[in-house]
Formats: sequence, structure tokens, C-alpha cells
Amino acid sequence: MNLNPEFQRQLQLEFSQARLVGVPLILGIIFTLTYFLDNQTHNEVSITAQTALGLFLLMVSFWGARQAVDSVLEEQRSHTWDTQRLSALDPWTMVCGKLLGSTLVVWYGGVICLLVYGLAADNLSNLLWVYGYAITSGLLVQNISLLLSLIALRKGQINSNSVITGLAIIAAFTIGSWIMPLSSNPQALQAMPDASWYGISTTSQFLTLMTVCWALFWCVVGNYRLMTQELRIRTLPWVWFAFALFLIVYAGGFIEAQHFSEYFYTTAFAICLTLSYLIVFTEYNEPMRIKRLLTYITQENWQRAAEELPLWCVTFVLAAVVALPLSFTHPADIEELHVYPITILLFLLRDIGIFLFFSFGKNPQRAFSLTLLSFVLLYGVLPGIFAAADLKAVSALFFPLVADSMIISIICMGVQSALVWYVLYQRWQESV
Amino acid sequence: MINVEQLIFEYPNLRALDEVSFHIPQGSITALVGPNGAGKSTLLRCMAALDQPMSGNIRINDIDVLEHPRECHRVIGYLSDFFGLYDRLTVRQCLHYVARAQGIAEDDCAAAIDKVSSGLYINDRLDVLAGTLSRGLRQRVAIGQAIIHSPRVVLLDEPASGLDPEARHELAELFLNLQKQGMTLLVSSHILAELEAYSTDMLVLREGKIIEQVAIKTTTHAHTQDFKLTLATPVDNLAAVLQAIDTLTVLKTEGNQAAWLQIQGDSVQHHQLLTTLLSHNLPVCEFAKITSNLQDAYLDTIRHRA
Repeated sequence: MNLNPEFQRQLQLEFSQARLVGVPLILGIIFTLTYFLDNQTHNEVSITAQTALGLFLLMVSFWGARQAVDSVLEEQRSHTWDTQRLSALDPWTMVCGKLLGSTLVVWYGGVICLLVYGLAADNLSNLLWVYGYAITSGLLVQNISLLLSLIALRKGQINSNSVITGLAIIAAFTIGSWIMPLSSNPQALQAMPDASWYGISTTSQFLTLMTVCWALFWCVVGNYRLMTQELRIRTLPWVWFAFALFLIVYAGGFIEAQHFSEYFYTTAFAICLTLSYLIVFTEYNEPMRIKRLLTYITQENWQRAAEELPLWCVTFVLAAVVALPLSFTHPADIEELHVYPITILLFLLRDIGIFLFFSFGKNPQRAFSLTLLSFVLLYGVLPGIFAAADLKAVSALFFPLVADSMIISIICMGVQSALVWYVLYQRWQESV
Repeated sequence: MINVEQLIFEYPNLRALDEVSFHIPQGSITALVGPNGAGKSTLLRCMAALDQPMSGNIRINDIDVLEHPRECHRVIGYLSDFFGLYDRLTVRQCLHYVARAQGIAEDDCAAAIDKVSSGLYINDRLDVLAGTLSRGLRQRVAIGQAIIHSPRVVLLDEPASGLDPEARHELAELFLNLQKQGMTLLVSSHILAELEAYSTDMLVLREGKIIEQVAIKTTTHAHTQDFKLTLATPVDNLAAVLQAIDTLTVLKTEGNQAAWLQIQGDSVQHHQLLTTLLSHNLPVCEFAKITSNLQDAYLDTIRHRA
């Protein structure tokens, strides 16, 4: 049988005989203890069922995330990644092999926990929902971990295990706070409010499950895409564009019908801004990439130029497209702040410039923390000082959303952005 | 087989490869030599389609490497200078994984493992954990992984570093064997004596530029040999005296006491020439063939370009 080689190798490494015997043995001991506790205490809620569900969440999130992360970062640490990159394996085989192979032992223990939960739970009315949430959430956490490890690999941060696993633990607790009440309270599902999406009435638990499934789908797509790039398969940024459009359309479904035209552009604009910030912080920003991009543009090699295009450009352009109609709809002000879309777009441009300025420096590892520090100064401290001194006009120079005139706010932000990008250009020229 | 044209690769503030161009014929073993930081590893990584250059062209086996990197991966084998093995797998499992990952069908894996392990003399270690192997054996397993799919081109970055003399000798034999099987090899190394045992060509890289490409094991003009003549005492107008003898060509003289000559003919004619030299009352104390080696060729190139 021609088994997926990466899956087979992960099994050889992770599914040892000791684990095959050890996992059910340890779980068996724990459940024997909880069984006796249940008999002694006679609680309304089965301790065994709660423990089984808790252990499942911990195993698939914490252990599963660690396994998924190691399946990528360990390759780089042990200098075997080049061998994999040169193999004939396609990205899909690699992603499936790594994700399923490295976590199979986790799911082996997880399935035992779910079976014990099914046998021990007093309330079986929510069983399928609990299983549905638990399994999809576990898969989501593992996929996000793999995604983060591929991003870390690309950025050369190969010792990011603890950070990613820490995030997975937070995710485990978040999922736990959602699922645990379902397992203990038979009325928990019924207590949830109804929801609607583009006028389709449904339950909020179904929408939540669908949202988790969609998130899982896009995580898998993201993993496939990053693996594709690692294997040096040439790609265009259409997946990022499709993801942004999907989010806009999906989030748009939650806007009430009577306010749809009023809030749709605002929602789309907010999504594009968020995605632009997210991707500029996660993408690998190297000065040579920009040089290659400019070289290809000079050569009018548009295919290659599109391959080198930073992804933030895609969502930035999308945000700009949305900002224009939004500027004419006069969105509501938020207390003393005026929502000027073009100004906000220039904020984004300035902030991206600041981050790239630090990324192109001698210590790009510190780019994120230095950018955060700059944001604190530019968004908080400086405007705050002048506002406290009743110098609103000066404060508006730094934070133009307090200016009463849109034109003035655009000019202030335009000047700031131009300055930042001029300094960025100087630094880029020094570094290439 | 391999064509590289105007290849440019840049790191921030450093041009690692500067318009590198060369051609490597099929079935050759080319030694890629140069000082540390010359760009050897970068060149090999670009050729293996692992790193993306700024511009230029690389064609391997008629595949445009920059346009179709994955197709290139099918026809090459690459060994990095910082290679790694799966320490918790046995040698057989390591080779089996790479064989399968390179598209060899499950049924053919055993034969491929057998073939490569015999060639590398590791067939008695197949069931040993890779993590317990010595440096030399690890190197052999890594080479085995690089060639298990019988690639047309093998790129090896410092393959002999850390190997003992016996292992290096076996490695040289292996490379010659691979050459016989029709593979084209490009081997980077600092150890010129080791490269000499198997290299047919030499590519000298310095500060990101190819400064020389020479054939080492090509046959020169039939019966032509370089000799060095050393005299016990200087002789006035040595060059003129030697040029008067028509069976030799004077390449150069040094201080009227030494001369480099090019001589045609076999050993009988060499003997006759020596008799002639002595008949001209030259106080000959040394008359010996010059054996040019890779080290000399490399140092000559470096001196010439300096």
C-alpha cells in the first residue's frame, strides 16, 4: 500500500508502542479514580464525564498543538527541512501527513476520552453538539498551530514553540468555557438566543459551529498555501484576496437587514484594515523582496511581480476601494472622534511604513515590539499630552481624527505618511 | 547539462553571486572551489531551487530552474553542508522515507535501498538508529538520501568534511561510480586533494564571481610534458642556450639557474634531451616532470587573478 510517506514517518516517530499502551493505561487510571469519586460523592454532574471532556480539550489543544508545531519547526532545527522541500511530495500530502501523522496519537487518546464521556455523561441530549464542537475546535487549534509554525519558519523564528503552545492553551480554555456548560447543563443549548444570517433564521449554536468549520477550512487553505510557498511552487496572492472577500460577505450576513446598506461598507472597511495589519505583522518582510518586486516591475514581468507582491497591498487596495463610497455615506462619529475613511486609510499606510522601517533595520526581530511602542506614542501619549494642555489643534496633528475638518485631517495624516515612507525609502536603500 | 547565465543573488548589502555564468557538461564531476564566503553554498542552493536569485537563468537537464523549481527537484539530488537525519529512525527507515518522498513506489523501495546502501557500504547498518551513527556514517546516509532516486544531477556541499581518509577514499570511489552511471556531479569542497581524486573540471568562485573554469583531466597534446630543469650553478644566457635546442620549448627561466620546459616525445627522447643538455655543459642537478594538481591549478588561478 502506498501510504502518504510523511504520514507514515510521523507515525514511526510519534506512535510508538510505549504510547500505544501508555496513553490508555494512564487514562484508565485517571478514569478509575474519577469513577470511585463519582460513587462516593453522588454529584449531580458526573466527575468522570467532566474529566473526560476536560482531558480531551487539553490533549487535542495543548499536546496536539505542540505536536503540530514540532512537525514543522523540528525539521528546521534538525536540518532536515531542505530534504523535505526537495522531495516530490505535493503541499497537500505534506500538510495532511504532518497534521494527521503528528497528532494521531493525540486523537487516539482523545477518542478514548470522548467514548468515556459518552458512557459517563448524565445528559446525552447535547452529546452530538458537544462532540461536534469538541472535534472541530480541536482540529482548528491544531491547524492554527501548524499555520503559526509555518509563519514562524518563514520568518526564521524556529524557537517559537512555547509561544504557539501558550496560545493553544488559551484557545483550550476558551473552547472549554464554551463547551463545558453544554456538557453539564441540559438546558444550555435551549438558553442560547436565535440568530439570523442574511435573513435566514437559525440557532446561534449552529452558526457558531458553522463559523468554526469555516475557520477550519480557511486554516487548512492557509496551511496549504504556506506549504506551497515553502516547496517553491509559484503562487499569486488570489487566496488572500478571496479570504478577504469571504470575510466581508460572511460578516455582512450578521448585519441587520434594515441597517445593511448603512453598515456594510463600514464592516468591509474594518475587515480590510484588520487583515492589512494582521498580514503585515505576520508576513516575512525582507528588503530584498521589495528589490525583486521593483526589478520585475521594471522588466514588466507582471506575473513575477504579482508573486512578490506583499499581501498587505491586496487588502490595502481593497480597503481603499471601500473607503471611497464610505467617505460619502458620512458614518457616525464616535463621541469626539470623526470617522474619516481616507484618513484612517492613511493611518494604516503610516503604520505599515513604521513596521517596515523597523523590519528593514539591523534587528528585525524587534520590529514588532518597537512598532507597538511607536503606536503607544503616536496614538496615545503625544495626542494625550496636547489634548490635556487644551491644544486640540496640535493634538490633531498627531491624531487627525479629532480634527473637525476632513480635509485638514487628510492633509495631516498625508504629511505623516509621506514622512514615514520617505524615511522608510532611505532605510530600504541602505539595506539593499 | 547545466547552464547558468548571469546569475545574481543578493543578501542585504552583499552581492553573493555577481553575474555568474558557466556550463557543466553531462557526465562530468566538477569541483566548485573558492575561499570561505565566496558564494559556493549560495550558488548550490540557487541551483537546487531552494533560494531565489535576483536575476539570471539556470537550466538543468533542459529545465528552467527559476520558472519550474519543482520539476528541477525531480532531477537533482542535493546534500547541504548542514544536513540532518531523522535521529529516531533507523537508517532503513530514513532511506525508505526519502525514497517514498521522491516518488519511488513502495514495491521498489527495498531494491533502491539495497542498491544505495551497497554503494555506500552501509548495508550492515540499515537497522541501526541514525542518531547513533558516527559522523562519517551519517554523511554516507545523507548522501544515500540525496541519490536514492537516481537523479541526473547531484549537488554536494562539502560532502567530505569530517570524514577520515579511508571514508574519503570510499567517497571518491562512489562519485566515480555515480559518474559511470551517467550522473553529473558538482561538488564544493575546501579539501582540494580530495577533489583531485575524482574531479574532471574545476570551477573557481571568488567574491561571488567565477574567475576560472578549467578542465583538469583532459588529455593534453600527445607526448607533450612539462619539465623543470634545475642547475647546480647559474649559467649565463640560460634561456638562449636552451632555445638553441630544437626538441624543447622554453616556458620560462628563473635566475639563470632554473627553467620550465615543454618537451615532446617518450622517455627515450627525454633521455636523449638530457644527454644533449649535459653535452652543452649545463650543470644539471634536477630534471623532472611537473605533475600539475588541483591545488596548483587553484593557486595559479588565484595568483593570476590577484
